[in-house]
Amino acid sequence: MKTKTVRNLIILCLILGLSTAGYAGNLDAFKSQKGSIKIAGGTAHIPVMKEAAKRIMKIYPDIQISIAGGGSGVGIKQVGEGLTDIGNSGRKATDEEVRKYGLKMFRWAVDGVGVIVHPENPVKALTKAQLRDIFSGKTDNWKLVSGADKAITVYTRDEASGTRKVFWKKALDKGDITQKANFVVSNGAMKSAVANNPYAIGYVSAGHIDESVSPVELDDIAPSLDNVKNGKYTVARGLYSNTKGDPAGLIKIFIDYLFTPEGQKIVQEKGFIPVK
Amino acid sequence: MKKGFETAAEKMFLLSALLSVLVTLLILGFMVILGLPLMKGGHFFSLLTQGWSPRHDLYGIYPMMMGTLAIACLGVAFAFPLSLGCASLVSVLAKGRFAWFLRKAVQMMTGIPTVIYGFVGIFLLVPLIRELLMGGSGMCVLSASVMLAILISPTMILFFTDSFDRVPKSYTDAADALGGTGVQKLVYVILPCSRKGILTGLILAVGRAFGDTLIALMLAGNAIQIPGSFSDSARTLTAHIALVIAADYESLEFRSVFACGIVLYLFTTLTVLLLRASENR
Amino acid sequence: MKALSEMNRFMEIFVRSFSWICGIVLLGSISCIIGYLFYKGLGTISLGLIFGDTNPTDALLLREQVFDGLFPAIFGTFSLVILSVSFAIPAGLASGIYLAEYAGRNVRGIFGIFFDILAGIPSIVIGLFGFSVAVFLHRHLSDRIFPCLLISGLSLGFLVLPYIIRTTQVSLESLPLETRVTALALGATKFQNILYVMLPKSLPDILSGVILAIGRCAEDTAVIMLTGVVASAGVPKSLVSHYEALPFYIYYISSQYTDTQELLSGYGASIILLIICAFLFLIAFMVQKGLTYHALYRA
Repeated sequence: MKTKTVRNLIILCLILGLSTAGYAGNLDAFKSQKGSIKIAGGTAHIPVMKEAAKRIMKIYPDIQISIAGGGSGVGIKQVGEGLTDIGNSGRKATDEEVRKYGLKMFRWAVDGVGVIVHPENPVKALTKAQLRDIFSGKTDNWKLVSGADKAITVYTRDEASGTRKVFWKKALDKGDITQKANFVVSNGAMKSAVANNPYAIGYVSAGHIDESVSPVELDDIAPSLDNVKNGKYTVARGLYSNTKGDPAGLIKIFIDYLFTPEGQKIVQEKGFIPVK
Repeated sequence: MKKGFETAAEKMFLLSALLSVLVTLLILGFMVILGLPLMKGGHFFSLLTQGWSPRHDLYGIYPMMMGTLAIACLGVAFAFPLSLGCASLVSVLAKGRFAWFLRKAVQMMTGIPTVIYGFVGIFLLVPLIRELLMGGSGMCVLSASVMLAILISPTMILFFTDSFDRVPKSYTDAADALGGTGVQKLVYVILPCSRKGILTGLILAVGRAFGDTLIALMLAGNAIQIPGSFSDSARTLTAHIALVIAADYESLEFRSVFACGIVLYLFTTLTVLLLRASENR
Repeated sequence: MKALSEMNRFMEIFVRSFSWICGIVLLGSISCIIGYLFYKGLGTISLGLIFGDTNPTDALLLREQVFDGLFPAIFGTFSLVILSVSFAIPAGLASGIYLAEYAGRNVRGIFGIFFDILAGIPSIVIGLFGFSVAVFLHRHLSDRIFPCLLISGLSLGFLVLPYIIRTTQVSLESLPLETRVTALALGATKFQNILYVMLPKSLPDILSGVILAIGRCAEDTAVIMLTGVVASAGVPKSLVSHYEALPFYIYYISSQYTDTQELLSGYGASIILLIICAFLFLIAFMVQKGLTYHALYRA
């Protein structure tokens, strides 16, 4: 009796093992790997990282992948200091950072940075000049840009954010951001903050824009994937994963996975432009 | 043999007490050492009076100090009368089961996690305040201080009721015998007798209000400016630590976090010494 | 005389109505907060909220990782509590005993000031300390140390240490004289007296202090957000892993939820954390009342 149960269990395990192996496809490389990968930094990357981690850990429970935010600056510094294995950034690491830490950059997606407002806000298009005035605090009421007679709440990100850096350079032409601006800590937080406030304006990774917020055309060009792809919408950037020196072992397999067809499909599903 | 064991035990107890003291000192020590580059050449004091503008290499924490001051003081200003009223109700004015129920409810409130106050604040209080103030984000000094008041009141109430209950029974009996009403007993006998307890509770509440992170971080909007009105967004010292911690370890921006830590530490020390002084008076 | 009684009547009405208004405001706001939470979140409470689509038994035996569920966060919170308390209890008990039984008047006063300061330090500053220590050790001792479960556990231990020291000290000091001297008179040593007589006698008080400390560890967010908690990690594999925790999950969801489903799980997580804390509170209350006294110390 007992042996029979044991035999059945073994058969069950075999079947399970076989079926998971068959399902794995591009995940095969993780087979018989063990250990942990620590990921930190860029918050635009998080949906892709989470999905990849979920697929990997589901099949290979011996691998632990932890994902933290913080912003691009944090990702670069933490990976440089060796506090994390992969540091994500929504901007290219500067030459100085690359030299100082010996960083290797892997660009696995292209992304835009779009201006967003609440869906009920009638303002759906702005010129760059209007945008600059709103963010510098010079324009402080929606009626000045043909909206409702309500004060504008500007949302921004902290210094460590790559999204902020790209937006500030390419959309605001390095203009000031008002001191009255409220701070949020990630792309996800930016989206929910704007979705919850009818009088808000903010900027977010194009991949994070969904029906809960309304994208704003900038000089008549919408921050859509197509416009980023064909180069019409210029507030764009790559999404990078950085490692200190050449990646090895599990970390290399993980980064390679992002470039496999399955990995690139995740990139597309989460609203970014695949690089392959 | 036995004697040796006794001494060993005593040594061990002493050692752990010393270790605990050491931790207290280490916390300050670490912050001073890591924040040192800021402090060289008297920079520390200019940090306390300067604004924040990384683009101009200014990493002063003055706006955060003002933010902390505004939110904490307003919070205490809301909480103090509320606590005094509730405490009077619990220990003098309300009778029987209701007083018991209120006391239990207040005790239970001290156990509610801060993050829950913040969570409900975002989805319940913030939209309400946004509509009330007609615009703005609703993430402002007012939202944070109202929630903070609810957070610190229970501890203050318990402290007040304790000191009300410690008023010698002979005093209150005398008031009763003279035919005094509950209110008269409260105003002429109990309140004056528990002045010290009220002061202690107040100082503790101020300390708690200055040190709280989550409420301000979640509800005050975190803008780096000196708040000029209730509806302005502000950032506290504690929220600043939580937000900038993630930045890199070399930058002056990150080191400013240690300046915040030192200010908070010194403030705590001051509170403790004040408490001692008020107890020994 | 009449003016005085007018004033008295006015004061009577004013003080009475003011107090009642305060009571109603406080009870009203707290019922709003809790009621709102349950109104929004009660519907989400289910096994699926905790285990996602993983089989609960497999998850509990750590045979399978849980995604889209609170299990890793709950597991993280429990590991944190166990770690921090197992460090803080021995240190706190020993320091409390020293303060109450061995220290002289002056030493007691000076140490007391330090412990009061430790108790008053904002938790975010303790977190900053833990973070700095981790980075310091990473640079100078071993590159395998970084903000992680162990660092968070230790930092939380520092956070609750003063509570445990204080409850131990106060409950020992408040023992009546005859309890303290009887065993000594019968020839017991000081240490034996403490271990076999005084500690058991003050156990309920100490225990309720410990349980409140557990509640503090379970609810604190500021310390862990600087010392290694992350948004997504699964069940931690070792003491030097990143981990998830319930209060941080609530904080994270409050600002970064991506859809209503995630937001609802935030309400669910809040209710679970609230229930854990309320439960601990009730136990502490019962212990203090002495209900469990006999059960725990019949021998």
